Amino acid sequence: MIEFRGVHKTYDNGTKALRDVNINIEKGEFVFIVGSSGAGKSTFLKLIMREEVPNAGEVIVNGYKLSKLKRREIPYFRRTMGIVFQDFRLIPTMNVFDNVAFAMRVTGASKREVRKRVPYILGLVGLQNKARCFPQELSGGEQQRVSLARALVNNPSLIIADEPTGNIDPEMSYEIMELLTEINRRGTTILVVTHEHDLVQAFKRRVIVIDGGTVVSDVPQEDNAETPPTAGSDVVSDVLDTIQETAAPETDPVDAVLADFASDYKANGGDAQ
Amino acid sequence: MKLSSLGYLIKEGFRNIKQNSFMSIASVLVLVSCLLLSGAAYLVFVNVEYGFEWAYDQNIAIVWATEDVDEAQLTTLGDQLRSLNNVGSVEFISKEQVLQDYTNQIPEATFESLQGENNPMLDAYKVTFVDLNLATQTLDQIRTFENVDDISYYADVAQVLVSIRNAVMKIGGCIIAMLLFVSLFIISNTIKLTVYSRRLEIGIMKSVGATKAFIRLPFMVEGMVLGFCAGSLAFGILYFVYARLITVPIGQIQFVSMSVEGMLATFPVWAELLVGFLLIGTLTGMIGSGISIGRYLKEESGVSVD
Repeated sequence: MIEFRGVHKTYDNGTKALRDVNINIEKGEFVFIVGSSGAGKSTFLKLIMREEVPNAGEVIVNGYKLSKLKRREIPYFRRTMGIVFQDFRLIPTMNVFDNVAFAMRVTGASKREVRKRVPYILGLVGLQNKARCFPQELSGGEQQRVSLARALVNNPSLIIADEPTGNIDPEMSYEIMELLTEINRRGTTILVVTHEHDLVQAFKRRVIVIDGGTVVSDVPQEDNAETPPTAGSDVVSDVLDTIQETAAPETDPVDAVLADFASDYKANGGDAQ
Repeated sequence: MKLSSLGYLIKEGFRNIKQNSFMSIASVLVLVSCLLLSGAAYLVFVNVEYGFEWAYDQNIAIVWATEDVDEAQLTTLGDQLRSLNNVGSVEFISKEQVLQDYTNQIPEATFESLQGENNPMLDAYKVTFVDLNLATQTLDQIRTFENVDDISYYADVAQVLVSIRNAVMKIGGCIIAMLLFVSLFIISNTIKLTVYSRRLEIGIMKSVGATKAFIRLPFMVEGMVLGFCAGSLAFGILYFVYARLITVPIGQIQFVSMSVEGMLATFPVWAELLVGFLLIGTLTGMIGSGISIGRYLKEESGVSVD
């Protein structure tokens, strides 16, 4: 799904953002990318989204060799992924429905297709009653769920979440992560860039640690589940220790939503349509 | 691009105008001013062109015979004129015909008392030259003929008028070109503001896989609509000012009214102006907005993940 082969990236001002990065992320994986500020996480994401090209090496995403991608093909490549931003990036003059429908319009979907799919997706993220609300009328968690719905609406094979819980409270953060987990369970590859110690430890997934532009640790999910991090653990600990610990929330209503999600999905034969 | 997307994007263009109504109105007004000045310059040029039309035909001289000339002498004069190399045609105009022409031009004047023997006009020959460059030489030859009282020839005046006309054309052309450039700049700036105010949407569009054409189209629709509106408004104002406020009052003034008929309030010119204004307005809007959004898309190549 995502492959970095000997990737180097140096910006015009001389900043060495990534050095000899070799990563392989398989289809259906859920991966955390962690690192301190300036470690190279954003560059890593930009290379995946084809916003930047490496100075050396190759990046392959969803079968596309990004260095060989023509400019006119980039929009079609980006339709194979959904992006969730830290600051939600919702259009304030559009209501929830239109914000999600927007992503479908871009791909040329008809009104009929939009009217059919958007309510379904809003139901998946638990916002079916908020379709006519505007972003400023929603809480942070709800706004992020709209952002997630927009990322999901075109049925991408990859979701990239850049600090998806950065602007919301811890209780909501777990909701968002639970949603992402559920989406992943259905086969979508999830890549989450985060600083949040609790989330990384709570969700026991593969953790790739980037520091100083290099991958200093790549801990698989199985290892995370049973033993503390070993290789590169100092860096991992240092990075994660900078995050203030917060109490884990009690069980919240999202379970009901996820139950609906699961049964809907099953009823539709496992197809997100 | 699908038809459903086209309809959606055109609607988005109109939405842009509504959302930035203040700037849209401001840019339309500026564009109207530019088009008005251009249109006025064009009308001046066309009027000058029309008024000086006769100057282009100044290869004609009127050779006035003396008062006491008889028929035989008149015939001899005509033959002499025809014998000149640079003379293409010679046409006799009797004094009665000359008086009649004046009567036709000034209907209120009474020339009844000047009929018959009291006719003060002179017989004349209308001479057409072949080569205007040899006109002076030919005129000198004609002056040596007997029974020639005077020669009416406006070539010198025509030359001056042609020079004026050329100057008006050049100056008018420069003004129009300059104003078109200003219009382009104004529209481009307005669209730039719209693009900037919608940079969040544009970034999201790019992140979800919008093509450049998809992003561009609403802004180009916006520019074209603004340009079209400006063109329509400019035409309306110019027509009202020229046809109602200038032509009619001037037509009321005696002695001037007959020349007003020569002023162009005619359909073909207005049709040209209308088509020109709409076309120029729309094209200016389209090109200006295309430049703005194209530049923005080139500069902001990314989706900005920070």
